[in-house]
Amino acid sequence: MRALYVAATGMLAQETNVGVISNNIANMRTTAYKRQRVDFQDLLYQSLRRAGSTTSDAGTTAPVGVEIGSGVKTAGTPRIFSQGPLQATEKTYDIAIRGEGFFRIEMPDGEIAYTRDGSFELNQDGVLVTVDGYEVEGGITIPADATGVGINGDGVVEATLPGQTAPQQLGQIQLSRFINTSGLESKGENLFRETEASGPPQTDNPGSESMGTLVQFHLEAANVNSVTEVSDLISAQRAYEMNARVVTAADEMLQATTQMI
Amino acid sequence: MENAQLVGLSRQMALRRELEVVANNIANLGTAGFKSEQVKFSEYLMPVASAEIFPNNRDKRLSYVEDRATWQDFSAGPIQITNNQLDLAIDGEAFFAIQTPEGVRYTRNGQFQLDTQGTLVTNEGYPVMSTSGPIQFADTETAITVGKDGTVSTDQGPRGRLLLTTFGDPQSLVATGSSMFRAEGIGAELAPGQGGIQQYAVEKSNVQAVVETTRLVELTRAYSTLAQMMQRGDELRRTAIERLGDVTA
Repeated sequence: MRALYVAATGMLAQETNVGVISNNIANMRTTAYKRQRVDFQDLLYQSLRRAGSTTSDAGTTAPVGVEIGSGVKTAGTPRIFSQGPLQATEKTYDIAIRGEGFFRIEMPDGEIAYTRDGSFELNQDGVLVTVDGYEVEGGITIPADATGVGINGDGVVEATLPGQTAPQQLGQIQLSRFINTSGLESKGENLFRETEASGPPQTDNPGSESMGTLVQFHLEAANVNSVTEVSDLISAQRAYEMNARVVTAADEMLQATTQMI
Repeated sequence: MENAQLVGLSRQMALRRELEVVANNIANLGTAGFKSEQVKFSEYLMPVASAEIFPNNRDKRLSYVEDRATWQDFSAGPIQITNNQLDLAIDGEAFFAIQTPEGVRYTRNGQFQLDTQGTLVTNEGYPVMSTSGPIQFADTETAITVGKDGTVSTDQGPRGRLLLTTFGDPQSLVATGSSMFRAEGIGAELAPGQGGIQQYAVEKSNVQAVVETTRLVELTRAYSTLAQMMQRGDELRRTAIERLGDVTA
């Protein structure tokens, strides 16, 4: 009975939906987390009577056909890269991006990873690193005796060194952006990797064309809206229950048939 | 007596078909731009069987049931605000035109993406058509906005107008899966200034959960009633045969 399989595709789809929603909710407090959503599409149709087939010798045609669908499929789980709210943290090396860019992080294997999580720290050598100790590209080193480190909107890192009055430039943070941000691959740990689908990165200083600007002493919060997620969760649960009811109904029909025999 | 069984059977088969349609509607409760499907039944008069031995009680023609057609309910689905700049919902009766390898397809599912070349595409990667071919964005363009009439522009100026097509008879559209329809006829293109595109929103499925559940209950009950009726018919015949067999000559 096809209805059983159709309902099964529906239940599977809603399971995927709940999986994605729960991951969004779990990451509600993750810095710069971008929420995901599931896009569904209907599956192929079996045409039992084609629309437009002739119904009489006079040339009349059937205006509509008989088409039976075969369920639903998951078409994709795109990430929504809308800006998350900025939170003031009063920490020197907390940097948020206002705009579309990504920080460039040098991974131990030499590859560049991308992140919007700007909760940076200094390592034992005074190099600007992520909380996992991966270097922010550019090798920005803050001398141990530097005071008043400032990072401006255009990514220039400056500090006042002892014996000097004017702040000195210590480095430049660059950002990358992608034509198709949804095509980035998530690596976990708030990092993304470039893929065939995302296109190559365009790298430039913050503040230049469409990269976005940096905001020091701030972090970008997750763009998860708890109210939306919870209501989505409820709809997913109800949809799952409905599909389960179809399974029951199909089962009852089969039962009625077998009892006749 | 045989006829009663056959009439019941025709209805049961139609009900099974209807269950499949209801199951597909429910499975697509969460599919953006999905249009629910309905089944249309009609009476099928069986003209052949007739006996004229009894002049006053002629055989009547038999009514069977047949599922003549499935039709899409093209009423608008609820619009959900998503805050995603490439989500477009259509307010009104038009369809987006999608360029697929098999030809132009039409959809109400406005969950679009950009591909590596910056082309506006569907989840499958098929380009969304504007009045002058696919819509392409350069690497440096940001702030994509889509106006009410489908005009797409960015911070660097206008990029074209989405091709919106309406059909006088949307029932002539054939669902091909992947939220798309194939047109048998030619649709009318919406003129500039017309249309109702809403950016940052998605049209949800127009399946009404309550209605579908009700149909589900109704059709399972109808099916089991028929099963019982057919069983009674069978018993009736068995008893008749038994009784007639008992009569001693």
